[in-house]
Amino acid sequence: MRLAVLHARAMTLELARYPAYFVPTLVLPSVFFLFFATPGAHRDATVRMASFAGFAVIGVAFFQFGVGIAIDRGSPWETYLRTLPVGPMVRLGARLASASLFACAAAALLIATALAVTDASLPPPRWLELSAVLLVGTVPFAFLGIAIGYWAPAKGALPIANLLYLVLSYAGGLWIRPSGLPRFVGSVSHFLPTRALADALVATTIGAPLAWHAWVSLAGFALVFAWIAALGYRRDEGRRFS
Amino acid sequence: MSVAELERVTKRYGAWPALDRVSLTVSKGEVVALLGPNGAGKSTAIGVLLGLRRPDSGCARIFGADPRRPDSRRSLGVTPQETAFPATLRVRELIELVRAHYERPLAAATVYERFELGRLVKRQLGGLSGGERRRVGVALAFIGDPGLVVLDEPTTGLDREARSAVWGAIRSHAAGGGAILLTTHYLEEADALAGRVILIEAGSIVTEGPTAQVKAQAGMTMVRFRAAPGTRVEGTIRDGHYLRLFTGDAGDAVARLVHAGVPLPGLEVRPLTLEEALATREHSG
Repeated sequence: MRLAVLHARAMTLELARYPAYFVPTLVLPSVFFLFFATPGAHRDATVRMASFAGFAVIGVAFFQFGVGIAIDRGSPWETYLRTLPVGPMVRLGARLASASLFACAAAALLIATALAVTDASLPPPRWLELSAVLLVGTVPFAFLGIAIGYWAPAKGALPIANLLYLVLSYAGGLWIRPSGLPRFVGSVSHFLPTRALADALVATTIGAPLAWHAWVSLAGFALVFAWIAALGYRRDEGRRFS
Repeated sequence: MSVAELERVTKRYGAWPALDRVSLTVSKGEVVALLGPNGAGKSTAIGVLLGLRRPDSGCARIFGADPRRPDSRRSLGVTPQETAFPATLRVRELIELVRAHYERPLAAATVYERFELGRLVKRQLGGLSGGERRRVGVALAFIGDPGLVVLDEPTTGLDREARSAVWGAIRSHAAGGGAILLTTHYLEEADALAGRVILIEAGSIVTEGPTAQVKAQAGMTMVRFRAAPGTRVEGTIRDGHYLRLFTGDAGDAVARLVHAGVPLPGLEVRPLTLEEALATREHSG
């Protein structure tokens, strides 16, 4: 446990000193928010804020897991770490902790932006619910990120993660209301994990009852992505360490 | 007591046998050098020993246990490959991170002093020169004050001063009862440090024994003397400004040269270095 904390700290320091990593990851969602969400702010500012917070948080999952793992897994440094008296789960746990920290920062920045430039607002208990939905709703995307990390080659991971991240976010209705999507995109939208996340976030924000269909869908995606990630992990282990 | 052991390890990549029934042991307090040309199987042998690779057959043990279990690596120290560090971490942060994995690590100050890292502690790893990074890498292997240190090419790319620091660390570690397994391209390094050498070629161990014995096995002494360019003497080969010969009986060889009236300026008679011994073995075998 102590080791996981130390590894998380080292990983966070390492990334925090790469402006090229953290500036885009943290700032991009807020910039997109300013582009897409402010015009309609008066009507559904709070809903936009919530779904953009989802956009911010899953971005960290895509980049820190997807790109981070893809780059690290081939690195001699990770190979060295395997010779230390510590199991691989500690490293994964550290990655999770470090990613959570960046995710919180990205979400906080976005929410601060939203509160500053729109009239978004939530009663205090809803903030808690929103945080919980963000936390749990990101799980399938963390698995998707890990899957990308273990399947994509180091150089291909960034474009692949970018493509999936932006397309899924748009088509899932995290940027604009799903009803505003072009018809074709709107019909595909129902089958996307990002749409389920968007629905869950919206339901929480407006105080609607728990969006069961969204959570069932997110759980399903979590299972599928976890399975793909596990396959990728085993394949990678087999190739490098057999 | 053996601290590291490969037992009849075979490892194939495709049809290519990288290791073919290789057995070796490293005992407490011993410095063993694993020698061999590139592609001979040194790295694969080290990879299996460290638990990074799974052997097709045979087994690896460190301190009597499977190296793939984190617990059995509690007293193992390894150098990462060069340039393998997270670029934005500082030297001090890295040292502290690695120290935290061991039960009784060296004091950080001792590490800085022994590997001359004092001036580097606040620097980021990405900004270090190749030699500085190499020194940090070697330091990492000793931080845990482990019973077994495995060094893959520890002095490649080091200047003379840094190399002698590394040699010093290896010697004092061994003097303190720690075992060391090192691979090297430099035979003189094996000669200077190792009590025992293992020569591996094409996946098999071809020579193994105490360094002195391997040298004696070749059973040769070198006789050499300066000779003007173009001078030829039967039974000798040219070596720069010198002519030289390897012989089992130096007295007889010198007597014959004198008898033949060959001038012998700058005459040297000395036992072969390990490098020369291995070279004669290759030529004769």
